[in-house]
Amino acid sequence: MQEAKMIKITDLEKFYRTEEVETIALNKLSIEVKKGEFVAIMGPSGCGKSTLLNILGMLDDPDDGSYMFNGVEVAHYTERKRADLRKHNIGFVFQSFNLIDELTVFENVELPLIYTGVPSAERVKRVEEVLDKMQIMHRRNHYPQQLSGGQQQRVAIARAVVNKPKLILADEPTGNLDSSNGNDVMELLTDLNEQGTTIIMVTHSEHDARYSHRIIRLLDGQTVMENIMI
Amino acid sequence: MIRNYIKTAYRSLIKNKGFTVLNVLGLSLGLASCLLIILYVADELSYDRYNTKADRIYRVNEDLKLGENNVHYAVCMPPLAKTLKSDFTYVENTVRIKNVGLRHVKKGTTNILENNIAFADPSLFDVFTLPMINGNPASALAEPNSVVINETIAKKYFNSTPGSYRDVVGKTLTFDDNTFYKVTGVIRDLPRQSHFNYDFFISMSTFPDSRSTEWLRSDYNTYVLFKEASDHKKLETALPAFLNKYSGAQMQSQLNMSMAAFEKGGSFFRLNLTPLTDIHLKSNRSGELGPNGTVQYVYIFSAIALFILLIACVNFMNLSTARSSNRAREVGVRKVLGSAKRHLITQFLTESIMVTFAATVIALFSTVALLPAFNQLAGKELSISAQTLTWLIPALLFIVLFVGAMAGSYPAFYLSSFQPIDVLKGKLSAGFKGAGLRSFLVVLQFSISIFLIIGTLVIYNQLNYIQTKNLGYNRNQVLIVQNTFELNNQARVFKQEVKQLPGVINATLTGFLPTSNWKNTSIFFKDAAFDQKKALFPQTWEIDEDYIKTLDMKMALGRNFSSQMLTDSSGIIINESAAKFLGLKDPLNKPLYRSNGGKQDISNSKEYHIIGVVKDFNFSSLRDVISPVVLVLAQNKGALSVRVNTTNLPFLLSQIKDKWKALSPNIQMNFSFMDQDFDASYRAEQRVGRIFIVFTSLAIIIACLGLFGLAAYAAEQRTKEIGIRKILGASITTIAGMLSIDFLKLVFIAILISLPAGWFLMNKWLQDFAYRVNIQWWVLVLAGFTAVLIAFITISFQSIKAALSNPVNSLRSE
Ligand SMILES: Nc1ncnc2c1ncn2[C@@H]1O[C@H](COP(=O)(O)OP(=O)(O)OP(=O)(O)O)[C@@H](O)[C@H]1O
Ligand SMILES: [Mg+2]
Repeated sequence: MQEAKMIKITDLEKFYRTEEVETIALNKLSIEVKKGEFVAIMGPSGCGKSTLLNILGMLDDPDDGSYMFNGVEVAHYTERKRADLRKHNIGFVFQSFNLIDELTVFENVELPLIYTGVPSAERVKRVEEVLDKMQIMHRRNHYPQQLSGGQQQRVAIARAVVNKPKLILADEPTGNLDSSNGNDVMELLTDLNEQGTTIIMVTHSEHDARYSHRIIRLLDGQTVMENIMI
Repeated sequence: MIRNYIKTAYRSLIKNKGFTVLNVLGLSLGLASCLLIILYVADELSYDRYNTKADRIYRVNEDLKLGENNVHYAVCMPPLAKTLKSDFTYVENTVRIKNVGLRHVKKGTTNILENNIAFADPSLFDVFTLPMINGNPASALAEPNSVVINETIAKKYFNSTPGSYRDVVGKTLTFDDNTFYKVTGVIRDLPRQSHFNYDFFISMSTFPDSRSTEWLRSDYNTYVLFKEASDHKKLETALPAFLNKYSGAQMQSQLNMSMAAFEKGGSFFRLNLTPLTDIHLKSNRSGELGPNGTVQYVYIFSAIALFILLIACVNFMNLSTARSSNRAREVGVRKVLGSAKRHLITQFLTESIMVTFAATVIALFSTVALLPAFNQLAGKELSISAQTLTWLIPALLFIVLFVGAMAGSYPAFYLSSFQPIDVLKGKLSAGFKGAGLRSFLVVLQFSISIFLIIGTLVIYNQLNYIQTKNLGYNRNQVLIVQNTFELNNQARVFKQEVKQLPGVINATLTGFLPTSNWKNTSIFFKDAAFDQKKALFPQTWEIDEDYIKTLDMKMALGRNFSSQMLTDSSGIIINESAAKFLGLKDPLNKPLYRSNGGKQDISNSKEYHIIGVVKDFNFSSLRDVISPVVLVLAQNKGALSVRVNTTNLPFLLSQIKDKWKALSPNIQMNFSFMDQDFDASYRAEQRVGRIFIVFTSLAIIIACLGLFGLAAYAAEQRTKEIGIRKILGASITTIAGMLSIDFLKLVFIAILISLPAGWFLMNKWLQDFAYRVNIQWWVLVLAGFTAVLIAFITISFQSIKAALSNPVNSLRSE
């Protein structure tokens, strides 16, 4: 496994200003993630986990601090450049699946390939491949509402990996699932990690966190502890 | 309970301010436009209805077919009125009106030119409702040299006030410095909604010709008042025999021809009736007492009003249904909590009726505020009187309830019929989004808008065509000094003096101009056989030798009149249409016999020989084909047309005025410019064009308001999807395009529907013009493109806004 750093954030800050209060979501946070790592982020509700994940996923801007992605400073990238970087490198998995209701399973998974300009024949091949791997091939023409929660999350993961991203960000991927479905999802993520994908996962479950190599614990936007798992 | 509904509705409307504002704004704009047009149409339809006996009054018309010539007269024979009354018991009364023309009326020492003067039979005040303030209506027009004037004239000539009209009666008015009329009555000003509008009525007995017993000529506008409960059809069926009895007899004695023989030759001459209330909109005959309206425009405007109302209602429905789908959850909760279906229905309807009501009130006030501007635009004097309100208020209430119920019923019945469990599980939103109805309505709106754009473009094209068409003469740089007959024998002197002025190229003395209302028809025969069937019925204009040159007309053959050629007094110039009608291959030097009226043979006619053929020129409306015209050399003093070429027109004008003053110090000189006179004759079309443009723009604005709201709604519905797509790498343009394309698709469908429809209907409108443009392909392209562009701008505003939003925020709301 390479020792190269995929992510290095230093003194990252993020504030939310509402009419009266100013919330410090991230407070001079510094974290490093190496290529091929599987990291779990834990902490109480409201401590800034999702905020951190959004910034790592370049969906959101930090207010201060540095964010080096593969050795390149991206903290002040324009929206366009971030989007470009994102669609080629990062896949997302959410607690609430976030599938598009109007599209079939197949079409949902196909979307990232369309946006990265993969030709149609190649798309079919890759989508089928990944659906097969996730064991939902037989549901390819169903709509999300016709699937169970576990199946929906598998589609979401299929969609996140179809573009072969180097990094997968997962925000409570098992949060809406029962334990058996949850375990399936964790197995899938572990498989992906073993094939070389870096994974950063937010979770409330110590059980799920155990699948990772390392746990980063956050409290009020600051790192309190890092446990290395074996 | 009602209060609860209203309170809840109010809160819900306030909560969704944006939608409420769009809804109220669009609807009130639509209603206001609609109201303005309704007022316009109501005004057009109200013509002559001020007459209390309106439904019993008919005008007698004459249709004449002579050989190939068809003429439709609004006038009849001099003795007709009297005879109808004496021959038919169910005719209660008849009255003749005859236009007098221009007269100078003396006020103090100055002479004022008046042109609203008519001769009328004493029965005028019995047939028409023209309330007399002072004087005796029964006898006012009995004696010769009596005149009845209206209030305006009483004030103008006698400085009279409403209390002192009595003093005016019995006074004298001097016409043309030589005739005296005794004022026998003061009437109220005629309503504008009258097909004739005179300031002076002179007793018919003043005019000797009115006692003529000729049954073969027509020049009196004749009205019949039927007795109550009698059928005008009875008279219509009796008219042919009646005509045969009188005109037939004179035909026999004067022309030595029976009516039967006349008709056997394919000619005829018939009388028919037009109801008084149809005259303004449906009659366009020779010899009308004033310019009439066109029923076509009433239809067109009514259609536009309906369209706009439809577009506004569609908006309202679309926005309401769109918004109500957001309320599915609310409905579900209410149902779970035990609300009955009818409560929900009432709730939605209350809301929708409240919005309609607010919009209607705003529309009513806007209408009042916009009325002056609209009057300017439409050339009307519309106002909202207490009387208008008596039908307007119920109509508005109806609109409130109808539109409110229409717009509210769909969401009300649709939503309230859901199973609460489906709604709460979110199953509804997917099904509801299909919204076929909404798409259909958007297509409808845009079809109408595009159709209106096509209409506007075609009307403007046609107007432009009229302005730039080669008319066969040059109307620019021609100054017309009107009424030169007032100079009497000095008119020719005046012409010579004006011609000598620097800056004057040429001048011609005659009232017969392509842009004037002077018309004169006579009967010509091309050979001594005097064959009725081959009679030519041309405009016969008296001109001088400078006419052709001054007006820049072109000769197709032969030569112009010349003062050197003494024989030219029997020479005649015909236009190309006349030559074609006569079927003459080589018309030069061919004879033409002009009938003197009455007996038609050589002894009763004048022989001309054709010296030239002038190229066809337009003289009536471009709606009509150029008809035959013959030009004869004569000393007509109607007007002096001056072709000028000067940079200092005011100076030249003042010089011409000086010349006039020197010859006629007491009479003011009136003048106009030929190009302006020409434009004036297309004022109706120009007005229609302007009205079309204004209301088309309004229709489009209203449609766009709706589209704007719908686009906002669609973007709102799809925020989650937009967020996901952005996270997966979709660019802003992709997202904006995706949101826009759904609506643009609808606009394209609208284009497919409206282009053929617009093309077809506007071609129909153009058929009315003998000289017209073809609808060019670019008109259709431009209309479609405009619609797409406007729709695109409207939608993309919302789409880009949605595409720019941060996906994190939209996904957080889960
Ligand atoms: N858009 C926002 N506006 C204002 N405050 C925000 C916003 N987003 C997050 N916050 C605040 O920032 C802090 C961190 O929020 P974040 O969503 O990152 O928490 P979290 O650790 O993911 O919590 P949870 O475990 O409940 O998902 C919280 O206090 C939250 O209230
Ligand atoms: Mg979170």
